[in-house]
Amino acid sequence: MAAISVHQFAPCITCHAWSPDKSMVAFCPNNNEVHIYKLFEDKWEKVHTLQKHDQIISGIDWSTRTNRIVTASQDRNSYVWNLEGSEWVPTLVILRLNRAALCVQWSPKENKFAVGSGAKTVCVCYYEQENNWWVSKLIRKRHDSSVTSVSWHPNNILLATTSTDGKCRVFSTLIKGVDSKESNGSTSSYSKFGELIIQLDLSLSWAFGVKWSPSGNTLAYVGHNSMIYFVDDVGPSPLAQNVACRDLPLRDVLFVSERMVIGVGFDCTPMVFAADDRGIWSFVRYLGEKKETSSGSKYGSQFSEAFGKFYGQSKHGMNNDSVESSKIRGGVHENCINCIMPLGECGTLIRRFSTSGLDGRVVIWDLEGQQDLLDYM
Amino acid sequence: MAGAEGFVEADNAEAIMIRIEHKTRKIESLLKQYKPVEALRTALEGTHAMTRDERCKSAHWIVVHRALMAIKDVDGMLSSLDSEYYDILMKYLYKGLSTGDRPTCEQCLRIHEKLTERAGFGCILRYLADTLNTV
Repeated sequence: MAAISVHQFAPCITCHAWSPDKSMVAFCPNNNEVHIYKLFEDKWEKVHTLQKHDQIISGIDWSTRTNRIVTASQDRNSYVWNLEGSEWVPTLVILRLNRAALCVQWSPKENKFAVGSGAKTVCVCYYEQENNWWVSKLIRKRHDSSVTSVSWHPNNILLATTSTDGKCRVFSTLIKGVDSKESNGSTSSYSKFGELIIQLDLSLSWAFGVKWSPSGNTLAYVGHNSMIYFVDDVGPSPLAQNVACRDLPLRDVLFVSERMVIGVGFDCTPMVFAADDRGIWSFVRYLGEKKETSSGSKYGSQFSEAFGKFYGQSKHGMNNDSVESSKIRGGVHENCINCIMPLGECGTLIRRFSTSGLDGRVVIWDLEGQQDLLDYM
Repeated sequence: MAGAEGFVEADNAEAIMIRIEHKTRKIESLLKQYKPVEALRTALEGTHAMTRDERCKSAHWIVVHRALMAIKDVDGMLSSLDSEYYDILMKYLYKGLSTGDRPTCEQCLRIHEKLTERAGFGCILRYLADTLNTV
């Protein structure tokens, strides 16, 4: 069984993040607070409550080297929390947004973070030493609708965003004084902050959950039309692949290796996608069970009722298979999974990851026992 | 499915109408040979070149409808139909369901049930989400 631990923290969780040593988890229980729980032997206990936001917190990220938490909320603000002694002290970041902040992520070097918002803008924030505060630079143009997800390229400069206008875009976030310290020859090729490097128009509906592969060569993002898109060689001539999902749409993805992606969403069970030797991506299997279930048992009791009514109109009767088990596939999560975070790393391979969802559960998964999948990695 | 290609001008529409006429003849002959699955496949082919022109859409629908109503063995049909046709078939099924005509709706409902079993909810989702390439 790939799920090694399940814990019900709250009725509903919007997002979660792990501490650097993975002993503590921070999440928002669908209100304006962040709860931090620590695992003491076998029990989870609440150790901190971060209260500063006025509305639901839509994104949390916890930096691994600098141990800072950044939160983004529907109250249009973002706070950076620093641990001083045993207290988390918030610092307000003035994002200059007039709509909710929807997602946030620390950059790989943790000197910047990006916030996507419903104001069709992306805020890239960096720390100004002289004034001792976080400054926000806005990428105002280009997006036609809410920015649902942001992801940093390993080079700390390129930022990929997805939006409800269906497009995935990659921007340069080169900031003088923050990025140009490194005498890296390649930074000169990204000329300006906010420059659009590439725009991918593959999805016909909302796009979510963009992530870069560990090397930064491949992008993956999902569309609300039950598709997942893989783009190789992101640049002037990208290679895009559309993979259709069998069932309900995904919400977030995670690269566990260069050639394997875990997708999570409304099916309540993680889905594994992998690329073969030719680089062609396809769906491998669900993580909740070893093989595909027969078509009958996948309908939960609610579905079977609805389908029964629908097909009952036809004189030729109902599909009897659909009244079978009422268990939703997998059974670990009972509602949409909307957040997936990496947990254990060995080099660039991620063996463990965690998922949280609208059912308020945080589930830890381990790929160690999944031999067929390990062959892909 | 590329949305941009959907914009067709008047002359292109004429070309599409001619192609549809050819298809109709081919489908009639296939049906006479009791090959309803090939007929459906022929009908569904080429509708990928989506058009905004209402006449073309109606003509396409008439052709597909003819092939759909001729299907007796739904399971057999779905087994031999390539999965690339599932999404477009789903769109036409919903078009059929929207006509309200009793025999059409019954047939479409019958096929819908089996197609959903085969293709999954994703197929329905892709129909719902695609507001650009409508049939």
